[in-house]
Amino acid sequence: MIARIFEDEEEDHVNLKTRHVLSGVMCAGLLAATMGTATLAQTPVGGTPVSGDAVSATPGQDVKLMLLPKFLGILPFDQANQGAEEAATELENPTAFDFVGPTAENSVAGQIEFMTNAPAGGYDVVMLSNNSGDQIVPSAEAAQEAGTRVVTWDSPIPDGSGESVFVAQVDFTETGTVMADMALSILGEDGGQFAILSASPDAANQNAWIAAMEDALADPMYANLELLEIVYGDDQSEKSYEQAQALISKHPDMELIMAPTSVGIVSAAKALQDEGLCEEIKVSGLGVPAEMLEYTQNGCAPEFALWSFVDLGYLTYYVSYLLATGAIEGAEGERFVAGRLGEYEITQDPTRPDVEALRVLMGPFTIYNIDNVEEAAG
Amino acid sequence: MARDLVRRLWSWEGLLLILLLVTLAYNVTRVTNFLTVSNQINLFQLGIEKAIVILAMAFVIISGEIDLSVASMMGLSAGVAAALFESGAPMPVAILVALGVGAGFGLLNGYFVAVVGLSSLAVTLAGYVGFRGLARLLVQDRSVGGFPDWFTNLGQRGMVGPLTLSIFIFAILAIVATVTLHFSGFGRLTYVIGNSAAVARFSGVSVARTKMVIFTISGLVSALAGVLMAARLGAVRASTAEGFELDIITVVLLGGVSIFGGVGSMIGVLLSTYLVLNLRNGLVIAGITGNTQTGIIGLLLILSVLLPNLAGRVRERLRRRQSDPSMRAPPADLSETARSQTAPG
Amino acid sequence: MTDTILRRVRPEQFREVILLIVTVGLLGFFASQIPNYFDPRSVNRLTTGLAIPLVVAVGQVLVVITRNIDLSVSSIVGLSAYMVGTLLTRTDGLSPLAALAVAMSIGLVLGAINGLIVAYGGVPAVIATLGTLALYRVVLVEFSGARTVTTADLPDWLNDVPSATVVAAGGYDLRLMVGIALVVVILGQLTLRYLPFGRRLYAIGSNPEAARIAGLPAKRDVFTAFVICGTLSGLAGFMFLVRFGNITVTAAQGLELQVVAAVVVGGVNIFGGSGSMIGALLGVLLIETLQQSLLRWAGVSEFVKDAILGLLILIAVTADTIILSRLREMWVRVRRRDKAQAQERAQVVATGEGEMVHGA
Repeated sequence: MIARIFEDEEEDHVNLKTRHVLSGVMCAGLLAATMGTATLAQTPVGGTPVSGDAVSATPGQDVKLMLLPKFLGILPFDQANQGAEEAATELENPTAFDFVGPTAENSVAGQIEFMTNAPAGGYDVVMLSNNSGDQIVPSAEAAQEAGTRVVTWDSPIPDGSGESVFVAQVDFTETGTVMADMALSILGEDGGQFAILSASPDAANQNAWIAAMEDALADPMYANLELLEIVYGDDQSEKSYEQAQALISKHPDMELIMAPTSVGIVSAAKALQDEGLCEEIKVSGLGVPAEMLEYTQNGCAPEFALWSFVDLGYLTYYVSYLLATGAIEGAEGERFVAGRLGEYEITQDPTRPDVEALRVLMGPFTIYNIDNVEEAAG
Repeated sequence: MARDLVRRLWSWEGLLLILLLVTLAYNVTRVTNFLTVSNQINLFQLGIEKAIVILAMAFVIISGEIDLSVASMMGLSAGVAAALFESGAPMPVAILVALGVGAGFGLLNGYFVAVVGLSSLAVTLAGYVGFRGLARLLVQDRSVGGFPDWFTNLGQRGMVGPLTLSIFIFAILAIVATVTLHFSGFGRLTYVIGNSAAVARFSGVSVARTKMVIFTISGLVSALAGVLMAARLGAVRASTAEGFELDIITVVLLGGVSIFGGVGSMIGVLLSTYLVLNLRNGLVIAGITGNTQTGIIGLLLILSVLLPNLAGRVRERLRRRQSDPSMRAPPADLSETARSQTAPG
Repeated sequence: MTDTILRRVRPEQFREVILLIVTVGLLGFFASQIPNYFDPRSVNRLTTGLAIPLVVAVGQVLVVITRNIDLSVSSIVGLSAYMVGTLLTRTDGLSPLAALAVAMSIGLVLGAINGLIVAYGGVPAVIATLGTLALYRVVLVEFSGARTVTTADLPDWLNDVPSATVVAAGGYDLRLMVGIALVVVILGQLTLRYLPFGRRLYAIGSNPEAARIAGLPAKRDVFTAFVICGTLSGLAGFMFLVRFGNITVTAAQGLELQVVAAVVVGGVNIFGGSGSMIGALLGVLLIETLQQSLLRWAGVSEFVKDAILGLLILIAVTADTIILSRLREMWVRVRRRDKAQAQERAQVVATGEGEMVHGA
């Protein structure tokens, strides 16, 4: 049981990052010795050493930014806010950014409302974790026309319209492989049956990750993994819990529930724990260490993954500040320095090959298990 | 004359007008560009589909019923239009079918309420779950877009100047609704039914038919709003308009319509629509989070009834204390002096 | 045979029986579709799911009978679950009973606010509780600061409660939470039936004006109904915390509609004046069975389920109403016939008596 952090062989076309999780390889021991703990893994030095042509931000410029998550009140978005605060302090922006969001049940319409009114509110950049799919496009395009840039993070605008650049937490294609690897590592070489417990049926992130996982499963390496079905818990703990229970009733031979959502994964783990089934059925997916601690320690969820939302908020703020101050244009090939995270480059988004979309890739994934979860939970 | 004005202002509509003016004043001072045409258009555009459904919901509630299925119907009609378009049907046909579905299911709601005699809460709750389910079935986990330009332009670009089709439709429907409710036999019937369905039935009025018409209109108008929303957003998901029903009902109630039926005016409903649109717009531009917005509107909803009630009670008490002595004093010419003598303070 | 039964009871009393028949029919249907439907583990899961909506429904029935409604219950459940959860993470050694008392006190206060606004402020219940539905949720979001209550921070005893069992027979458990819910239902039914307070609620609901003129303490009783509803929602909040462990700001969102649906399906008149706890119990049973069984039904895709759920709710309500109205017709017919016969007999007797008088 070790933190699996690997070099990315595909570095050339993706980014300049030195460290990157690439799953699929099973020889984790080597790096584990050097990486050791999650804390180390969680605070990556990020980009390559600063080279000459990368743009640096000039602190102290006055720009008005809005951080717009899917909705307020859950930990990952709060962590992103912390990261953005940290960057804002570093950059000495005299205008504090607004951390606003709609209510959970009004997420789509609420985001569109904030976006439509952003130019009237005098915002230079809206930092958006898009929960509205393509439906945000008209308002985002209108905002761009009116001079408000749109930087997406966490969840992009699917076809890239109305979006200046997407700050990707990890490579979305890779998410599929990471999940398939965790499944294989938990179930063993002989594999087994598993089900996916997602957020809502139209959650763009989750859909992209699940699609990536289904693609990954086509690889003969995962031939023994059988995906039973995909169910949805709408990111509500009670509904996710009941869905997990229903999965248990429905599939007597199921050995794993894969939940690529921080609400779903804890709810599924709790359901298994209450049923006393943690020996027979495991839980994995994407979860916040602080919330998963107990389940990893008692064996319900031996392994799960996530990236740092603090870093994501930090990086997003940097990108937005640079755009707002005109230091970068938001064009392909531009390089910039994002404070403690190091140097990044804006590239075409390879996970959205059919459309014109730009991306800044953060990464890496951290795989959490019994060895590093406690430290990461803090 | 002055007293007449005071009494008029004391009415619900007057209260709403005052609230609206306060909100406008606040927004104008706090938000730059608030009164610009583009912002006012924006503010209408963002809530236009809700505003359209609100008109129909006013009829439903005044008739003493409720329709919880409106938002799900918006999602369903958008889903029907999108799914048909996706499978190759021309957009106008897709729109017509979507509207037909709305009217049809509305009629079905009305049938179960008026003819079978079920509680509208139960029937439309089934619709609330079921229509959304049908939308989910049609659109699944996808986002259907790529509509023809003329269609999305309807929702996004101005037809005359900056005014979009939706705004025109709302304006026309608002006039039609006001005239129908206040100046037609159908409107009077709606009130009578809402006041007491039993009385209406005994007086030979066709309660069932009127209710069925109202529910059909509610379904049709919701379907229209769903299609307009698809045009405005340019893409349809199964969750389109989710959760709108409570907002819509809230505005109707804030407009002074009694949940028990029989009471309310279209002017009040229109005022409260404009009030809530302005309030949301100001709060969003001022960077207030969605939760606080909802809380403020919730508080407004309670206070708008509570404060006049309490004020009315205080007035009542004062009046009683003043008028009691005068009642005891028989000679009319003395009552004036008697009152001034015993007046408190 | 039916005649004899109809002579003894009014059709309204059949309401519960009809609901029971509809529910049993549904159970039979799902049992034929879902393998191992009645296996102990599945049954235990299903019954445990009943506890929370049941407790909330009991409070809701009291309020609805008075011709009011409480839509804020879901926010009360969420808020009390979250607050007690936070309290337990921060305070070591808080006893289970103390935690329960805190949850119920939070519910009591929130319910009292509702009651004050409705009963003494004269604000219609729908408006008041739509407002507090939003307000209580805002308090939760502000209070939480985006922290999630997680099981890891909660004391161990709390994690043992969901599987705590009162009685077990052949693998079928009566879980503690379900036991508590049933006790609440029974107490609720006894209150409605035998306490003067309960009888007054019906009077207030069927004709508020008359109740006021008759000198019933209508305001106080409506206030009390809201307070009880809030307190029970607080209890449900505690159960929510125990059952789901992980509490986010969206906890219990949407529960209000589920409970109102169950109450209406259970035959409680939304315009006040009639309804029973047993009806509400069956309503909750019906709605929950539908929902949970659909989740487990392998025959249908994930995307069809809500459409089917809507249809089934409609069918259940319609079946209930139609059967009830048929029974009422039969009852009226039997009554009428009996009356006619009685009159005939009376006439015969009267003539007989007349003859006797004449003879005397």
